[in-house]
This record gives sequence, C-alpha cells and structure tokens, in this order.
Amino acid sequence: MNSHWVLLFFVWILPHLLLGVLAVFLWRRGLYREVPCFFVYVCYEIAEFCLLFALRLIPSVTNQQYRYAYYATLAFSVVLRFGVIEEVFRDLLREAHVVQVAMRRSLRIVQGTLLIAGILFAVYAPGDNSVSFVTGVSVVNRGLAMAQSGFLLFLIFLCSFLGLSWRRLVFGIALGLGVIASVDLGIFAVRAALSSSAWVPYLDLIRTVTYLTCVSTWIAYVAAPEHAAAPLTTISNEELKVWNKEFQRLLRP
Amino acid sequence: MEQGISTFAPAMIATWSLVAVSLLALGTLAYSAIRRRTRQVDLKREMEAFQAPDVEAFRNLVDPAEEDYLRDQLPPARFRSLKRQRTWAALVYTREVGRAARALTMVGHAQKRSADPAIQATGVQYADDALRLRLGAVQASFCLAAEFVLPGLRTRTVLALIDRYRQSAETLLQPGRSAGMEMPGSKGA
Repeated sequence: MNSHWVLLFFVWILPHLLLGVLAVFLWRRGLYREVPCFFVYVCYEIAEFCLLFALRLIPSVTNQQYRYAYYATLAFSVVLRFGVIEEVFRDLLREAHVVQVAMRRSLRIVQGTLLIAGILFAVYAPGDNSVSFVTGVSVVNRGLAMAQSGFLLFLIFLCSFLGLSWRRLVFGIALGLGVIASVDLGIFAVRAALSSSAWVPYLDLIRTVTYLTCVSTWIAYVAAPEHAAAPLTTISNEELKVWNKEFQRLLRP
Repeated sequence: MEQGISTFAPAMIATWSLVAVSLLALGTLAYSAIRRRTRQVDLKREMEAFQAPDVEAFRNLVDPAEEDYLRDQLPPARFRSLKRQRTWAALVYTREVGRAARALTMVGHAQKRSADPAIQATGVQYADDALRLRLGAVQASFCLAAEFVLPGLRTRTVLALIDRYRQSAETLLQPGRSAGMEMPGSKGA
C-alpha cells in the first residue's frame, strides 16, 4: 500500500469520525429537532461509510460489486441532500413569513428550472459517449450537483437581496452543502468527460478533502453558540433625535 | 482524426465551463461566509440609508396629474422623451427605497435576536414592514421598466410603494416605537 492510498484512507475515515462527533453534538444540544433531515443525513453518511468500509475490507467483494454499492448509497445520499436543502429553505421562510407565498413560488420556479437544466445537460451535453455505468452515473450526478449548487446559491443571493438573516446553524449547513455540491459539479463533469481512469484517485482525493473541510465547517457552526444579543452599533440619544426629525420631515414636508 | 478533434473540443469546452462554474460557485460561497463573519449591522448607517429618499420629489415624478399635464402640453415625441427621463429618475428613487427597506430589514432581524422582548417585538415589526416594502420596490421597478420601454403605459404600483414607505415611517414614529431603537449599551433614548 503506497503513501497515496494511506492518505486516501486517512481522508476517507477522518471525515466520518468527525461526522460521528457532529451527530453527538446535534443530539446532545437537541438540534436534531430543529434540523431533523440534516441529522438523518449525517447518520446516513456514517452508516454508508461503515457499509462501504466493510465491503472494501472483505476480500471476496469485487471492485464492480463495491462500485455498485457505492453508487447505490450515493443516490440516496443525494436525495437526502435535497431534503436538507428543503429544510434550509423552510427555516428561511420562517424568518420571512410575510413573503412566504412569493418566496415559495419563486423558489419552486428556480428549483424546477435547475432540475430541468440538469436533466437536459445530462442528456444533451457532450462528453464520453460510452454507455458505461460509471459515466452514466457521473452524468446524472453532474446534473443533480448543478441543481443543488444553483439552488443554494440562489437562496444565498435571495437572502442578501431581501436583507434576510440566516440562523448560524442553518447558514453553516447551507455553506457546507453548497461547497460539496459545487465541488461535485466540477468533479463529475471531469469524470463524465474523461474516459481515462488515471485521474480517478486524484478526483477522489479532492472530493474527500472537500468533504473533510465541510464536515469541519459543520462542526464549527454547530459547536459555536447562536448570538444571544444583536450585534448592533450603539446609537446615541442625539442621533435618535436626528432620525426622528428626518421622519417628521418626510411625513410633514 | 479531424472528426476526433471536432467532437473532443466541444466536450472539453463544456467540461471546463462546468469546472469554471463550480469554482465560481465556491468563490461566491466563500465570499458570503467571510462577509457574514465580518459584517456588523451599523444602525446609524442603516438609518441614514432609510432617510435618504426624498419622498416628495419621488411622488412628483410619478404623479398622474403631472403626467396628464405634460401629455397635454407637449408634442408626443417630446412627451415620450421626457416620460422616459422621469421614469428613469423614478427608477433610481425606487432603488433607493429598496435599499432603505433592505437596511431596515437587517436592523429588524438584528433586533429580533435581542434578549429584550420589547426590542424583539419591535424587530419583528420592522422586519415585516421592511420586507413588504422591499418586495413592493421590486414590483415597482418592473412596472417602471415597462413604462420606460412603453411610455404610454401607466401603472399605480409606484404610488402604492410611496404610500407604503410613508406607512413604514409612521410605524417607526409611533409613540413607544423609538424605545425599541435603544440598543444594548446605549444611554437611553
């Protein structure tokens, strides 16, 4: 086993150990009630890792069998990520309840457009024309990553545009998920285009290092307490008088 | 060989375009995370932003009576040109109102996280009013853009926006509201 494989194993195991820490944090702080889908996602990722790690260690399991297991578990993971995004969206709607209907409609339109764009890109975009299983899965994942990344970016843009504030925990989740989806988009695009398998270990390494970074980000956001008090600049009495005077001027010109 | 190159090139262009999009998305996420960490709601600055729009000048620009007068007095070509200029100026005002509303939303959301229930309640009110105002500004911008393209068109959305802006200001001036403006650490209002 060369140093590259040792590194790959290290960055494969470590994020899942950290996911265990994250799950404990979520449980002990009662945050699993606030973000149940994210909690299920974290638990699922740990279980998925245990299964794949066991399959990797069993000598009788062939590479092809392992690959099928990997992509089958990945498919469910992607579905759960959509659930987490929905959870993030619902949390934002709670902040902006006066514009719920308008926001819900516009976001549904964006979600539908992105999904259609992802599917069209998967069907028509040029790439490796071989009909291998791995290429097919990469093409589908590329489309889904595009939809997830685009949707999260749209949420961030919309919140900035409307001046909505994210809860610390929810922003952390969205940030981590956005990074994973964006890196997945690039990686699966390269995978779908290149038929050579020489790049695969390096792409896997990038993906696992990204995953490690995102899990660390989630832990940082979950572990840090939500701001208790508003971080507002103090306003003096004089300034308040000027402010009120200006409003009077507006109302009675 | 040539056929190979011709199919390879679009494939690689599409692939590297997606990689570029992915990097751009990562950059945007990093920027928003850094901005969130470093940004503080500067109440004074946000209030100044809310004071900025001159409501009367804005109302004058979209006044239907004024528009009727101009339509009667000017030749059609001159009227269309002037209407476009006025609409453009109204668009600038609408953008300012939108910015002011966004500033107030941020103040409201920051207040909602306060430990003091009174400030929290004020924050909820500010945030809700400001959000409605912000959406109204977006809607008004679309209507004004349509009026800019078709000067004969007339919409009342902008007048409704101005009225809403006034209402927001009145809400802020209600007795007891200013108490909510007192921030942690201030000496009292």
